[in-house]
Amino acid sequence: MTGVNASQRNYRVILPENALARWLEWLGGFYTLTGPVGGGVAARFTEISKFEQMDLDYQSTMLPPGKKYLFEPVEEVLSFDVSEGVFSSGPYPPGRKRALIGVHPCDVNAILYLDMVFLSGPYADPFYRARRENTFIIALNCKSVTGLCFCHLVGAGPYLKAVSGYDILLTEIGEEEGAERRGGKNRKFMVELVSEKARELCDVFPFSMGEQPEEKDFEKMSRMEAALLKSFRKNLDMEGVQSALLSRPDHHALKETADSRCLSCSNCVMVCPTCFCHDVMDKTDVSLSRSRRVRRWDACQDISFAQVHGGNFRAQRHARLRQFVYHKLDYEEQFGRKGTVGCGRCIRWCPTGIDLTEIARAMME
Amino acid sequence: MITRETAKKSLHVPVRAVIKGVKDEAPGVRTLLLEPVEGQFPRAGRVSRPGQFNMLGYPGVGEAPISYSMLPPGKTDAKAEELFGHTIRRAGRVTGYLEKFKEEDEIFFRGPFGRGWPVEEARGKHLLLITGGLGLAPLKPVIEMAPSLGLAGATLLHGARTAGDIIFKAELARWKTGGAVEIGLTVDNPPGNFFKKRQDRGLEGFEKAIGEIRTGLITELIRPLQIDPAKTVAFICGPEIMMRFASRDLMMKGMGGAGIYVSMERRMRCGTGHCGHCQIGPWFTCKDGPVFSCAQLRGLPDVII
Repeated sequence: MTGVNASQRNYRVILPENALARWLEWLGGFYTLTGPVGGGVAARFTEISKFEQMDLDYQSTMLPPGKKYLFEPVEEVLSFDVSEGVFSSGPYPPGRKRALIGVHPCDVNAILYLDMVFLSGPYADPFYRARRENTFIIALNCKSVTGLCFCHLVGAGPYLKAVSGYDILLTEIGEEEGAERRGGKNRKFMVELVSEKARELCDVFPFSMGEQPEEKDFEKMSRMEAALLKSFRKNLDMEGVQSALLSRPDHHALKETADSRCLSCSNCVMVCPTCFCHDVMDKTDVSLSRSRRVRRWDACQDISFAQVHGGNFRAQRHARLRQFVYHKLDYEEQFGRKGTVGCGRCIRWCPTGIDLTEIARAMME
Repeated sequence: MITRETAKKSLHVPVRAVIKGVKDEAPGVRTLLLEPVEGQFPRAGRVSRPGQFNMLGYPGVGEAPISYSMLPPGKTDAKAEELFGHTIRRAGRVTGYLEKFKEEDEIFFRGPFGRGWPVEEARGKHLLLITGGLGLAPLKPVIEMAPSLGLAGATLLHGARTAGDIIFKAELARWKTGGAVEIGLTVDNPPGNFFKKRQDRGLEGFEKAIGEIRTGLITELIRPLQIDPAKTVAFICGPEIMMRFASRDLMMKGMGGAGIYVSMERRMRCGTGHCGHCQIGPWFTCKDGPVFSCAQLRGLPDVII
């Protein structure tokens, strides 16, 4: 966070936690507040009414906030009235405006990835776009890393480096000296207004209760980031991965992991913040009056995923596991970046503890 | 309820079409001639090209990606009819349902999707078309526009299981007479094979028009070919295993992977690059394909090419 120029600094302020709480609750007048509830690595994003409900010390969630709220697990995209013979699609946007509070850098990067999937190609998905435009993202730099995190390897964390695509960035930079709040300490947050939307909103609500950050605050942030970077336990040669994986598609590490441990349960895909695959199915009402086209999260680990007439291109389990590993660590041509943000969820929620970085490391040896 | 105006905005809303003709091509294979009646077609700024496909289906049943076997009007194609065509083989749930459609029935589609055959790359070169079974259908528009492509020459090699399974017999006879394209045919099972006899009835006239039908795999027709690798572009469409051996035979003759194009088939749900089912390595078959050069596919897992 060094090398900040003056104009950027105007949009930064240090707020004590109680002021941040008041400001966020004021924001609740415009947006449905959604934040992390329950701490540790199994927190969950849910709608909240009070700041105190949130645990901003959380480390990870099972379902990533971006995918959960921007790309819903089941969604009706089309409805056909059989007697009238007319289609309806929408309405967009489905639901209220939402503010996602405390989204970690990996998950913000995952949202930027989903943006590329659903908005950047020749066709933009209207449902995703409507939700995305209605979502106010308040990112939160990490203050600790878990043993499974590897965001530092792909530039997705632990401090957020993206300069657009979200609205506000929070960083906890210590505690207010001498201030007691409900028996606890009153933490201080560096608040950075990143988007125009955020800057306009904060015109209405003055930041007078905060203080201008000084050079020492930025230095402190840099020190905290450097310390965090040292605490990562996972390491992988990301430069070498690309050439190693594609040249060894039938490597024994992949086959042995798949054959001995993979259950094809699709947990890895469901919790992955960048996995976007979905199935589309038509459902007709019992009355035969209406037919709905529904899309639902789908997984490449499912045996019928790549089935076509006359064959299945990924009938073998290791081929399906390979598709997941390669899509995350290779295939940069697809969207110009790797498919992983290093959140570690696929490792944490795998019932048999399959670790894609371990597979990749074995394949590179 | 959605109006036509809002329907234009959504890629999820299909276009209604009426079936204006149904033509039996071979056992289990039919061509549907469609006339779009409602909705915007083609989608704004998009021109139908040979090799592209539509998601064809019916609400409540589902959709299947089917390539054009006849392009809609207003295109580089010389045809001026108001219709476009899709040739479908009964294979799964959706295509099994589509097979029951009759003239004047309603059908729905979205599209066109994908990148088509790179016909402009064949200008001034010899265009080699190699097809197997139903693979002739996506290349039919290319053959029909061949005289306007400025080709040095064109050759069509087509293989089918039996003579009865050869589709577009009338067209093949017409192309043969037209002279724009040289034609070679082969079948896996020769006419007169005891088990296939019934399907071969009525073929005498066709054989007279088309000449010799060889027996054997498509590679039997490729091996004797004399080609100049630098001045040849190949479009291959058929079962993936057939495209594998056809493209390898061409590479053995000195052609590079960049000049050999194949049309891939993968499971598809959306057609727009979102559902992820059709991924081949880093590519989406629906938006980066379905036509790929062999160079693009080389070395990717889960590909037979």
